[in-house]
Amino acid sequence: MIRVEGLRKSFASQTGRVQAVDGVSFEAHDGQITGLLGPNGAGKTTTLRMLYTLMTPETGRVLVDDIDAAVEPMRVRARLGVLPDARGIYKRLTARENITYFGELQGLERGLIVQRTQRLVAALDMRDFIDRRAEGFSQGQRTKTAIARALVHDPGNVVLDEPTNGLDVMTTRALRTFLHGLREEGRCVLLSSHIMQEVAQLCDRIVVIAHGRVVAQGSPEELRAATGCATLEDAFVKVIGTDEGLFA
Amino acid sequence: MRTLWTILRKELLDAFRDRRMVLVAFVVMPLAIPLVLAGTNALGARKQSQQLEGQLQLPVIGAQHAPNLVAWLEAHNAKVLLPPADADAAVRSQEHDVVLRIDDGYADDWRAGRPAHVEMIFDSSRPLDSGMTVARARGLLDAYGETVGTLRLVARGVHPSVASPLQVAIRDVASPESRFDFSQQILPYLLLLLAFIGGMQLAIDSTAGERERQSLEPLLATPVARETIISAKILATAVFSLLSLAVTLLAYRLAFALVPSGGIDASFEVGSLGLAQLFLVILPIVLLGATVLTALAAFARSYREAQGYLPMLMFLPMIPTLVLMVAPVRTQLWMLAVPFLGQNQLILRVLRSERISALDWLVALGSAFGVVAIVWFIAARLYHREQLATSS
Repeated sequence: MIRVEGLRKSFASQTGRVQAVDGVSFEAHDGQITGLLGPNGAGKTTTLRMLYTLMTPETGRVLVDDIDAAVEPMRVRARLGVLPDARGIYKRLTARENITYFGELQGLERGLIVQRTQRLVAALDMRDFIDRRAEGFSQGQRTKTAIARALVHDPGNVVLDEPTNGLDVMTTRALRTFLHGLREEGRCVLLSSHIMQEVAQLCDRIVVIAHGRVVAQGSPEELRAATGCATLEDAFVKVIGTDEGLFA
Repeated sequence: MRTLWTILRKELLDAFRDRRMVLVAFVVMPLAIPLVLAGTNALGARKQSQQLEGQLQLPVIGAQHAPNLVAWLEAHNAKVLLPPADADAAVRSQEHDVVLRIDDGYADDWRAGRPAHVEMIFDSSRPLDSGMTVARARGLLDAYGETVGTLRLVARGVHPSVASPLQVAIRDVASPESRFDFSQQILPYLLLLLAFIGGMQLAIDSTAGERERQSLEPLLATPVARETIISAKILATAVFSLLSLAVTLLAYRLAFALVPSGGIDASFEVGSLGLAQLFLVILPIVLLGATVLTALAAFARSYREAQGYLPMLMFLPMIPTLVLMVAPVRTQLWMLAVPFLGQNQLILRVLRSERISALDWLVALGSAFGVVAIVWFIAARLYHREQLATSS
């Protein structure tokens, strides 16, 4: 369970301060997939970065399983599995070593790491490359390794920044199945995307962000009803005001 | 503590799988530095023995005025050559180290018992090239003058000791270890430089490199304190550079054992106590280097920018050596508190097998570790900056 209340964040730029996130509030519930939809530059990544405590919000707060991220950032991070925008994995280590390293950083015992890795390798179909060094991995192999290392500590909350970015159709489909599996296990899954189709297919709840603000949120049905549009895509374009930066 | 060890181990594994890094730290450095040093040293020793023991090449102008002097010189291992047309130019162009000119009135003066004029032409701005030859020539002339002077006194019935009211004896208290030769000047600098920047590749790779490869953000999203992360990276850098330093020193000793140095012992002889002392002296510099490099790499926006700071850092350990070369001063306690200067002094003392008091150790180690703590604090602060993980 993730709750975000009134987050604000601005950055200095050459033309003055830019308000990247301007009062974002939403909830992501356990056993649901929540999608953060918005065009590029809407403030999705910055919102997520505040959520996993990489950045400090100027105002507002983040609660993960009712723990305040500003007060106990370590406990919050232990309860999150994060696939950040930056997916870098260690190229001179094998996929397995990458996952093991993060398991140890999460304070897990060796035996447990082996067991969890085995499960993730099966779920993400990583058998072919698990013991290869990451140098020369395809985008899909890199993303899978990054997801596996983010989930090795079996977190109740999973945060994924543009998880399908750069993946081919087959891998995207496999990933979708994997995310549904996480939902069935009762986890709170929060992902960001600028792809309308993906969010429409995958998510139980959708939070639409534009210019650093939440412009609409609810289930797909609620969004359609509120805008009076027949399709979800039309509803998105209507609440955002433009389809610029979005992808069908 | 366990996570510290986890990160330290991973950084070292990562580094040792980087072939280029391992090649530089454990093959290139250990080969290049001792070979260059041992090579130049052997060359210098050969030149020295040639200049000392070889035949002295001595062009003489007006040799016909002083046949006895010329015969005496030739009897004392000097080869009297025909003079060049322009003596000054020949010396200036290093064709000859020294040219002797015997005055036209030499014979008349000699017979009249007046001091006869002999002129030595040399270039004093080249003490390294020609100093030894010039000194040899002067020594021969002095010896000839003294011999003849003694004979003249004896011929006049005066005891020669009347003309030598003073007899100066020399007792050199230098121990064999403290003879200050080339390698002893260069060794402290070499040790300090290697200790200081030996881990530069790893420091930059594990901080600026990690950020550039975008693996820092996932790392910072784990429940590990940033102080732990940076401490582990600093320690990994320190361990790596200590290993590289150990291999280089070993190669250094081997090189001097293999390359003949012409009777001049340019190697360093330290027992196991000396080695332990050297280790203790160098340890804070290794840590200081690792901390400074890691802080810089955390501050720099990119790998390239971090590398740009390196020439500046290489200059730091050089400063005390330069200062001591220009103005050699007696060691005072405050010097030991200055990083690099203090270590330089202590390394020299260890190499000369001199005693180092507990107070000396306290001052040197205390101050060096104090500086490490300050830089570590700065590095940890830098690691807390928001831009660290996101400015890519």
